[in-house]
Amino acid sequence: MFLEIVDVFISGLINGSVYALMAVGLTLVYGVTKAFNFAYGSFYNLGGYFAWLLLIPLTVVGGYYSVFFLAVPFFFIVGYLLEKVLIAPLRKYDDWEMKVMMLTLGLSLFMDFGYQSVFGPRIKSLPSIIDGTVEIGKVVLFQQDIVIFILSVSGMLCFGWVLNNTRTGMAVQAVAQNPAGAQIVGIPKDFIFAATFAISTIMVGFGGILLCQKNFVDPMGSTDIMIKAWVITAFGGMGSIRGSLYAAFILGMLEAFVGWYFGMIHVQIATLTLLLVTLAIRPQGLMGRE
Amino acid sequence: MSLKRMVVILVGFYCLMGVMPLFFGGTDYIMNILIMILIWAVVASCWDVIMGFAGIFSFGQVAFYVVGAYASAILSVSLHVPPVYAILLAAVITGLFGVLVGLPCLKLAGPYVALVTFAVHMTLVPFLRGPMGRAIGSGGAQGILTVPPVSLFGMTFSSEHLVPFFYLTLFLTIICTIILVLVIKSYWGTAFLALKDSENFAASLGISAFKYKLMVFGLTSFITGLFGALYAHYVGMLSTRMLSMDVFTILMIMIVIGGIGKYPGVVVGAVITVTLNQFLAPMGMYRPLIMGAIVVVLVLFLRDGLVNPIIRLISSRQKAGRTGEYLS
Repeated sequence: MFLEIVDVFISGLINGSVYALMAVGLTLVYGVTKAFNFAYGSFYNLGGYFAWLLLIPLTVVGGYYSVFFLAVPFFFIVGYLLEKVLIAPLRKYDDWEMKVMMLTLGLSLFMDFGYQSVFGPRIKSLPSIIDGTVEIGKVVLFQQDIVIFILSVSGMLCFGWVLNNTRTGMAVQAVAQNPAGAQIVGIPKDFIFAATFAISTIMVGFGGILLCQKNFVDPMGSTDIMIKAWVITAFGGMGSIRGSLYAAFILGMLEAFVGWYFGMIHVQIATLTLLLVTLAIRPQGLMGRE
Repeated sequence: MSLKRMVVILVGFYCLMGVMPLFFGGTDYIMNILIMILIWAVVASCWDVIMGFAGIFSFGQVAFYVVGAYASAILSVSLHVPPVYAILLAAVITGLFGVLVGLPCLKLAGPYVALVTFAVHMTLVPFLRGPMGRAIGSGGAQGILTVPPVSLFGMTFSSEHLVPFFYLTLFLTIICTIILVLVIKSYWGTAFLALKDSENFAASLGISAFKYKLMVFGLTSFITGLFGALYAHYVGMLSTRMLSMDVFTILMIMIVIGGIGKYPGVVVGAVITVTLNQFLAPMGMYRPLIMGAIVVVLVLFLRDGLVNPIIRLISSRQKAGRTGEYLS
């Protein structure tokens, strides 16, 4: 019993860390650009397919090292172009927030069925990043889990460093605080919007590469991920990075324990109940500002 | 849009629909399309009222539709309620459900509302498929396969006799359209617009956001539930596939073609979209792909929808003609 709980706890921790990576990206893009991205889950799947394509059919040299190395420029370009081509032109309308939601929802449908028609409807499995186990007392840990945890945490630390120490990162924060003011002091707002979107795409793509090793690449699984990422962002408070960090781990735990105790089918219901209760009691989320 | 023009477009549209069975009454394929156009036109109109007029980003429209359909099917299959009463009860249930969904949305800002309503949509799938849904009679993953047809005054309105069902749908459609037009053009509609433009200013004029937002949720979900229930008794079988994303996308294409908040436009949007969807049906897996691409392209390039610019073009030409006469 105790060992089982430890196992569930660890699985919640691993999932939570990857969710945190993805949710931080989402909260960043919402906090800065106010664009509500409904296609976020499809980028997660893009990460999964990107890794699968490089590892299985192309058998790229260097395995996961090259996947991670190539993923950064790939997702940056994808995200940057998407923002420039699809979202930036909408900003001139009054009701652009609604239009962005509709557009990204259409985009997610397009991407999901695009994967299906290109890669086929069957789920794909990725090879694990490292095999083997570590035993601590009676608890058996997969090395894969440890590596995923370390990678996602270091991904977040890396992101935090970029945000606080580089000129681009500080420009992003300035735009988030006051877009007009940022523009007056000479920060290229449009570039920052696109770059933020691109960074969030990188983060969710990495989330896809990491988590798809455990959960398979499912072309229809993107709405599930999208809802999860959004629930975490709303639960933690939109635009609050620390809030979404806590929320991601809480949600990862909740998911693991509800799935273990009540069965997987109740996970989504529990998640959404959590969301509704939070929003009813504290509409600004866990750490959000009024 | 002025009341007169709105009424002209709607009356013209429904008169045209009314005479269609004279030409296509024998062709089941076309009758089916016409019935679906009528049903979707109302569902999309409701969405336009809540999103375009009241400015609430509700993404739960398909969820309300499915709740109506399932409620009516469960009432008539498990509890043996006669379908006519089941449809009305289902509409009331959906209306209450809409108010319930609307309650947490009152305090929330735009995108949160979209998230909550969309989350309700997403929760319905595991709920209806899981043990909780089976307990209330949703039939789990299989769905409900034997929904009885509507019978009224000794007549049976089923999918075998499409023309009577078409006129039943048309009758209900016209009633609901009249209700919607009256709401839009009454004090309520003005209150919705005021709330959409500036909630604080509207509140200072004595418009209660609480009351009107709940009212718009209740009203639109009531009508949507009514048509969902009607649809359930029309096709005779339900499954959670109704909640798949492509149904939602179809609805979204309608409103984008019609223009958000340009009311009768969405009716024309429904005609175009349902027809298009039928033509795309042989494409199988590529249909949702194309639908998604259409949404992206339309949102990017259609600012006000397809219908409104055409109307503006016609009316400006008329005006130009009139001034021309005046000058000569």
